[in-house]
Amino acid sequence: MSHTLYGILALAEVAIGVLLVVRLAAGPTISDRIVALNTLSTQAALAVLFYAAFADRTIYLDVAIWLASFSYLGAIVWARYLERGLL
Amino acid sequence: MKTAAVLVLAVVGLFFSLSGAVGILRMPDLYTRIQCSSKTITMGALPALIALVVGEGVISNYASRALIVAALLMIVNPAASHALGRAAHKAGVPMWSGAVRDETAERGRRLDAGRDTDSDRESQDDEDGEGAGDGDRR
Repeated sequence: MSHTLYGILALAEVAIGVLLVVRLAAGPTISDRIVALNTLSTQAALAVLFYAAFADRTIYLDVAIWLASFSYLGAIVWARYLERGLL
Repeated sequence: MKTAAVLVLAVVGLFFSLSGAVGILRMPDLYTRIQCSSKTITMGALPALIALVVGEGVISNYASRALIVAALLMIVNPAASHALGRAAHKAGVPMWSGAVRDETAERGRRLDAGRDTDSDRESQDDEDGEGAGDGDRR
C-alpha cells in the first residue's frame, strides 16, 4: 500500500520536472536555463529517492545523494562561467 | 495512522513543489525565478523527504539517505541560488520592467562614488546620505 504511494510520488515529481523542462527549453537568457536545470536536478533526486523506496532497491539511494550534491557543483561552475567568462 | 501522516506530508511537499515549478514558469524575471527555485523548491522537497522518513521508519537505509539529502539541499540550494543571482546580475541580465529598486547596483555605485562615472542609469535616489540612510526602508 505504501509502496504504491511512493510510486505515485515519484511520478508526481517527474511530472513537476516536465514543467521545468518547458522553462529549460524556452528560457530567454542562459541564466533561466541554469535555474531550471538546477531545480530539475533537485526534482530528479527526489524522484530517484521515491523510486528507490517504491522498488525496494537501496542501491538507488546513492544516485539520489550524488544528484543532490553534484547539481550544486554544476550551478557553481555555471555561475563562475557567467561571472568571469571562463571556467 | 502512519500512512495518513505520510500522505499529508507528501501532499504538502507536492503542493509546494508544484507551486515552485509554476512560479519558475510564470515569473517575469530571472531574479524572481531564482526566488521560486531557492525557497519554494527547497521547502517543497523537505516535507516529501520527511514523508519518506516517517513511512520507512527512522532507523532504515531510506531514512538516513533522505536526511542526508535534506541537509544537503538546505545547505546547497541557497548557496547555488545566491551564486547564480550574483553572477547573473554581474553579467547584466535585465530586471523586470516593473522592478522599482536595484540595491546591488546602488551599493556598487555607492562604493565607487569617488570616481563619479555614469549618472545616466540612476534609478530613483542614490545621493541621499550614505552613512545614515543605507538601511532598507521598506
